[in-house]
Amino acid sequence: MVVGSVSRGCQVVVIGAGPGGYVAAIRLAQLGKDVILVEKNPTLGGVCLNVGCIPSKALIHASELAHEAQHAENMGISVKDVTVDLPKMVAWKDGIVERLTSGVAYLCKQAGVEVVHGAAEFVSDRKIVVASDDDRVEIEFEQAVIATGSRPMALDGFPHDGEQIIGSSEALSLQSIPDRLVIIGAGYIGLELGTVYAKLGSEVSIVEFLPKVVPDLDPEVGKALMRQLKKLKVTLHLSHRAESFEPGKPSIVITRGPNDEELRLEADVVMMSVGRVPNVEGLGLEAAGVTTDEKGFITVNEKMQTRAPRIYAIGDVVGGALLAHKAFQEAKVAADVITGEPAAFDNVVPAVIYTDPEVAWVGMGEVEAKAVGHNVVTGTFPFKASGRAMSLDSTDGFVKAIADADTKQLLGIIAVGRGVSEFIGEATLALEMGAFLEDVALTIHPHPTMSEALQEAIEGALGQAVHMVNK
Amino acid sequence: MAFVFSFPDVGEGIHEGRVVEWLVGEGDTVAEDQALIKIETDKAVVELPSPHAGTVLRLHVAADATIFVGDALVTIGSPGDDLPEYKATPARSPAVSSTAPKAVDVGSPPAPAVASRRPLATPRTRALARKLGVDLLQIVGSGSGGRITDKDVQGAADGGGVASTAPVGPAGVVAATADGEVERVPITHLRKMIANAMRASKHNAAHVTHVDEADVTDLVDHYRRAKPVIEERSGVRFTLLPFFIKALVATLQKYPIFNASVDEDKQEILFKKYYNIGVAVDTPEGLIVPVIRDADRKDMVELAAEVADKAERARSRQLTLDEIRGGSCTITNIGPLGGVFATPIINQPELAIVGLHAIKERVEVVDGEIAIRKMMYLSISFDHRYIDGAEAARFMSDMVRLVSQPMVLMARM
Repeated sequence: MVVGSVSRGCQVVVIGAGPGGYVAAIRLAQLGKDVILVEKNPTLGGVCLNVGCIPSKALIHASELAHEAQHAENMGISVKDVTVDLPKMVAWKDGIVERLTSGVAYLCKQAGVEVVHGAAEFVSDRKIVVASDDDRVEIEFEQAVIATGSRPMALDGFPHDGEQIIGSSEALSLQSIPDRLVIIGAGYIGLELGTVYAKLGSEVSIVEFLPKVVPDLDPEVGKALMRQLKKLKVTLHLSHRAESFEPGKPSIVITRGPNDEELRLEADVVMMSVGRVPNVEGLGLEAAGVTTDEKGFITVNEKMQTRAPRIYAIGDVVGGALLAHKAFQEAKVAADVITGEPAAFDNVVPAVIYTDPEVAWVGMGEVEAKAVGHNVVTGTFPFKASGRAMSLDSTDGFVKAIADADTKQLLGIIAVGRGVSEFIGEATLALEMGAFLEDVALTIHPHPTMSEALQEAIEGALGQAVHMVNK
Repeated sequence: MAFVFSFPDVGEGIHEGRVVEWLVGEGDTVAEDQALIKIETDKAVVELPSPHAGTVLRLHVAADATIFVGDALVTIGSPGDDLPEYKATPARSPAVSSTAPKAVDVGSPPAPAVASRRPLATPRTRALARKLGVDLLQIVGSGSGGRITDKDVQGAADGGGVASTAPVGPAGVVAATADGEVERVPITHLRKMIANAMRASKHNAAHVTHVDEADVTDLVDHYRRAKPVIEERSGVRFTLLPFFIKALVATLQKYPIFNASVDEDKQEILFKKYYNIGVAVDTPEGLIVPVIRDADRKDMVELAAEVADKAERARSRQLTLDEIRGGSCTITNIGPLGGVFATPIINQPELAIVGLHAIKERVEVVDGEIAIRKMMYLSISFDHRYIDGAEAARFMSDMVRLVSQPMVLMARM
């Protein structure tokens, strides 16, 4: 019920308190702006903290521990009767989420950012209305930052009910391990959560419309992932279109294969992960003069400026890589531009998939580098040859370096293996600094670590690897 | 298919140079053999021609950058290739474009970010460029491998971009020290090249200088009589230098070790069957030694014309690389500058350098009579590792005889 209407003013209003929004708000406050941060949900942190990156990584780690405990016989470790108390695991995860979201609230408060809860709508390019159950606040602003994020896309024929058909958010808070889990969409969310539930004991099937997983990456990446999924007894149905759903116990997912054959999959739970769409509905973008592209993503330039002179947009809602760290950077760019600094987004964006093994990459792949006109040289170091990988009992995967054969400039890194997420930042730094192969080859990497593989792959590209045979 | 043209190994020990200026720009169409870039190498400004026809896609080094053999200079695409479009950021367009049933497909994780070529600059330098309003794609870097440095960006902002060349003359900074005012002037590239060559020569060779004296009275008389006639008929300003070049060549023919160099790795002496005589030229920016090729096959008027032309172009830094390399022995004419005699440094890998000193009238005893004669000192500085002193004495004695008795010299021509 609307009990009143209050008019407010501020220098900058930030809409959405996810990784983009809260970083923009805090940075703007640090730069001396009077900032209001508007969030629809009761907690800050957006999808990332509440139902995305962080909670999924907690469950990935926990499920990995349970899985490893049961698969350590070769190291002389036998653990009998491993039991998983899923509600307790979820509660542990919720504790982490609580710590982080309240941490963000604390940071906002300390920075002097005022948080207003409610749904924002532009009424002009100078004013929004924030509506909540019991309030309606008009906020006049000098500048606005739209950081409303994205949400899972729905698929016709699979009505979301939160029980039999769920999205990734519910998958992070299940109270019991489903016997049969069918996942629609073999993107990173589908692959990550499929791995979690396979490790917790579910029989997992993944239905993918495209003929391969991670199609944009090096074919070797897909192969390594497929190998591990097979070990976990995850069934992949590639080139299969999810057509319809029959409720029941169990429910049935009906798919159609490449030769038009029908496949019926029994499911206790169906998780949808077919893509994400930007949260732009109800924002009143037209009233503000903000434009979107044909997919609904807000169009911005490298300064994160929309078509409306005072309004900026950052994060998932502008498209590109839907990744929190991209949003972090865009937030800082927007904040700098708003305060008159000549900032622009001109960065390489690393990406990580927390599958088993992990996949991480940055920069250009081999195909892309060739397409841009580089004479390409590559070097690949397999973790089979890594002492550290052996000591972790995780020799799956490799690091591949992609470079220009003539100038020896590093163009990209793809890594598959345990813990590779932790050193893709190094590769990103190398690219940002314009590193040549020699720069990394002449940098000492601590031994024994997985990161040595990066150095070896690059030495391989130079034909100078020591711990593998140079091709 | 685009290819990268790198600073070629042009031999003669040249492994470093400085970019004087680009003669083409990104997006230009170039023909095969069209000059791409002017590079100042060891004592010459060289124009490097394009090995292929095509479109200049990218300049990898900036004007004034120091480059090394093997450094990428320019990327040239096939004729008609478009300039690669620069994309500053990962696609701003939707993440994925797979057709139904998925609109935005988390199913395919974001493609490797950043599609295209980026300026070779660190984030800090890129930020500086934005601050100063400098377009990094219009700059080529002077840093390692063509990295754009803060300095390059600052320079572009101050001087208006790539085309700006180094200021001529000392651009020093005057500062007061405890001992008085000191002006700090950057050492020019040519000076560095000279310094390195001189130090290397002094370090490697066992320098000895032998000095003899010549009575050039007859030579000067002949020269004075012939000069107006020759100049009138040829239109060439005629000097004494061609006589000495001819005398040197004649002497070299008799003592081939002075026209040799040494392959230290193989421990072999390379006797040159050609007579390419370097002539040291004093220029405002430093010593440059153009080479007169096949001096044995040119007449004295041709030699005079060539020396004049090359000296002039050495001063204006327009010599090609070919014109300053491949010498077999060098002559340096110190005479006009006065002094008694000097001990020049060998122009390695040659083994000897002949110094011509001032011609002065002195009182001499000729056939028991006191006479006033035109006298000059001739020196030969040689590498005693491979040439003995007696050999040098004989060499100089022969050369002295040739310049003292012009008819003998003429007979050898």
